Amino acid sequence: MQPILSVQNLNKYYGNQVGCKNMNLTLYPGEVVGVVGESGSGKTTFINSISGNLIPDSGKILIETGNETIDFLEISESLKRLLIRTELAFVHQNPRDGLRLDVSAGGNISERLMSIGQRNYGKIRQTIFKWLDKVEIDKSRVDDFPRTFSGGMLQRLQIAKNLVTSPKIIFMDEPTGGLDVSVQAKILDLLRKLVRELNLSVVIVSHDLAVIRLLADKIIVMKNGEAVESGLCDQVLDDPQHSYTQLLVSSVLQV
Amino acid sequence: MNNVLKFKNKKNAVAAQDEIYNFAYLDENTKRMIRRALIKALCIPGYQVPFSSREMPMPYGWGTGGVQVTSSCLTTEDVIKVIDQGADDTTNAVSIRNFFKKTANIETTEKTSQASIIQTRHRIPEEKLKEKQILVYQVPIPEPLAFLEPRYQETKKMHALSEYGIMHVKLYEDITKNGHIETAYAYPVKTNGRYIMDPSPIPKFDNPKMDNNPAIQLFGAGREQRIYAIPPYTEVTSLDFEDYPFDPSKAPYKCSICGSNESFLDEIITDDEGNRSFICSDTNYCNQRMENN
Repeated sequence: MQPILSVQNLNKYYGNQVGCKNMNLTLYPGEVVGVVGESGSGKTTFINSISGNLIPDSGKILIETGNETIDFLEISESLKRLLIRTELAFVHQNPRDGLRLDVSAGGNISERLMSIGQRNYGKIRQTIFKWLDKVEIDKSRVDDFPRTFSGGMLQRLQIAKNLVTSPKIIFMDEPTGGLDVSVQAKILDLLRKLVRELNLSVVIVSHDLAVIRLLADKIIVMKNGEAVESGLCDQVLDDPQHSYTQLLVSSVLQV
Repeated sequence: MNNVLKFKNKKNAVAAQDEIYNFAYLDENTKRMIRRALIKALCIPGYQVPFSSREMPMPYGWGTGGVQVTSSCLTTEDVIKVIDQGADDTTNAVSIRNFFKKTANIETTEKTSQASIIQTRHRIPEEKLKEKQILVYQVPIPEPLAFLEPRYQETKKMHALSEYGIMHVKLYEDITKNGHIETAYAYPVKTNGRYIMDPSPIPKFDNPKMDNNPAIQLFGAGREQRIYAIPPYTEVTSLDFEDYPFDPSKAPYKCSICGSNESFLDEIITDDEGNRSFICSDTNYCNQRMENN
C-alpha cells in the first residue's frame, strides 16, 4: 500500500531558531499519526509546515492523490490552495480560527461545498443536515450564528465544516485544547467514531498523551524541534526508550 | 494662483480662475494615467485596476471616482448626461453636470439617446444604450468580497485564483434567512465568465441590462482607488443557485405619472395617512413617455 502522505527531512527555522528539524512522517490511508511533545517542542510548527499554513525551508512533502504523487512544495499556489480546500482539512485548536463567526452554522459547513462548485441550495442544505447529525449538533441550530454556540459545539461545527468535502488528509492541532474534560471526552468519542466510520487519515498534534493513546495508531515524540522517538503508539507509550518519552509517560497524572 | 492675484477686481479674478482650469478639470498627465487604467480594465473585464485617485473638489462618496473617469474620457464634442438614482434633477446630478459645464464647457443633455457619456449613480437608464455611448458608474465599494473577507491581500488572491465559493455563502445566508435571495442592490455578477464584480449599488432590476450591452461601461471608485470596466457586448451573469434562480424583481405597480409598468419605480409617501404612489426612477424615460403621448 502507498502512503497517502510522506514527509521527508523537513526543516523549518525562524531565523537562527529551530522550528522543527529533520522531521519525517509516513501516513497510510485510514491511519492516525499523533505528534506529542511539550509546549515549544515544535509540534505546531511541524503540522503548520506540512499542511500549507507555513512554508518550510527544506524537505519534501509527497501527497498521493490517487492518480499521481504531488510534491506539495513544488506545485503552483493555485493548485496548492485547491488541494487545501478539497483534499486537505485543518482543524484549529481554537475553533474561532477555523470558522466564520458572522456566517450561520449551515453557511460555515456549506462554504467548502460551494467552493468546489455545488450550486443547488436544496442539496447543499441536505448535506448540511447530514453533517450536523454526524457531529451531533441539533438540526434546529442550523441557522444560528457560531457565536451562540458553546466551546464544544464550536469544535464539532469546525470538524463538520472541514469534513464535508471528504478530504483525504486531516490535520488537527490540539482539537480538544481549551475544553473541559467531559466535553473533551465527547469530542474524542466523536473523532474516534468518524475516523473509523469514514476511514480518515489524520495527523493529530497534542500535548495530551491520553488523547493520542485514544486516537493514534502511530506516534512521534518531539523535543526541541526534533523527533526523539517514533513508532507504534502502544509500543512507544508502554515501553518508552528515550529518556524524554519516559519522562512524558511518567508525568501523566494517575487518577 | 499668481495669475489670479494680478486682478484687482474680485469678480475678474474669479472669472480668470475658471479659465485657468485645464479642460475637464484634471491635468493631462492624470487623465493619461486614468486612461491607461481604463484600457487595462477594458482588456480584463471585471478586474479591478488600481489607480492613483486625485483629490477632487467634492467629498468622497459624491462620485469622485466617476467624475475622474468621465473627465478622462471627455472630448470637446461630447454631450454629457448625469443621473443620480435615475433622476437628472437631484443635487448630485445637477452639481456634477454643472461641474463639467464649467470646467469643460461642453454640451449637456437630459436625453439618454442624445448623450455620448452618461455618468450615473445607482441606476442604468431605462432606454436601451447604443454603441459609441459610455456609461460611467460611481462606485462606493468596488470589492464584492469585502464584506466576507476583510483582508485586501486575500481578496486579491481569491480573484486571481477564482476562489469564489464564499460569494455563494452570502447568497446561501440570504435564502436561509429570508426564503429567497434578499440582496436587492449591488447584486454580484460574473463578467465574461471570469471575474466576480460588484456592479455598484444599482438595483438588481438593472443587472440584466449590463449583459451584452452595446455601450462601454466604466466603473470608478475614487476613495477606494479602483477602476473596472465591461467592454461592449460582454456576457454578464448574476450569481444564483440552480433551485433559486436570479430574479430581477419588479414592484407590482405602475408609474402614477406615465403609467409605465416596465420601469423601475420609486416609492413616494404622499401624506401622513400612509398613502403612497409610485413613479419612474428614470425621470428622462418618464418625461419622454409623457411627451410622446
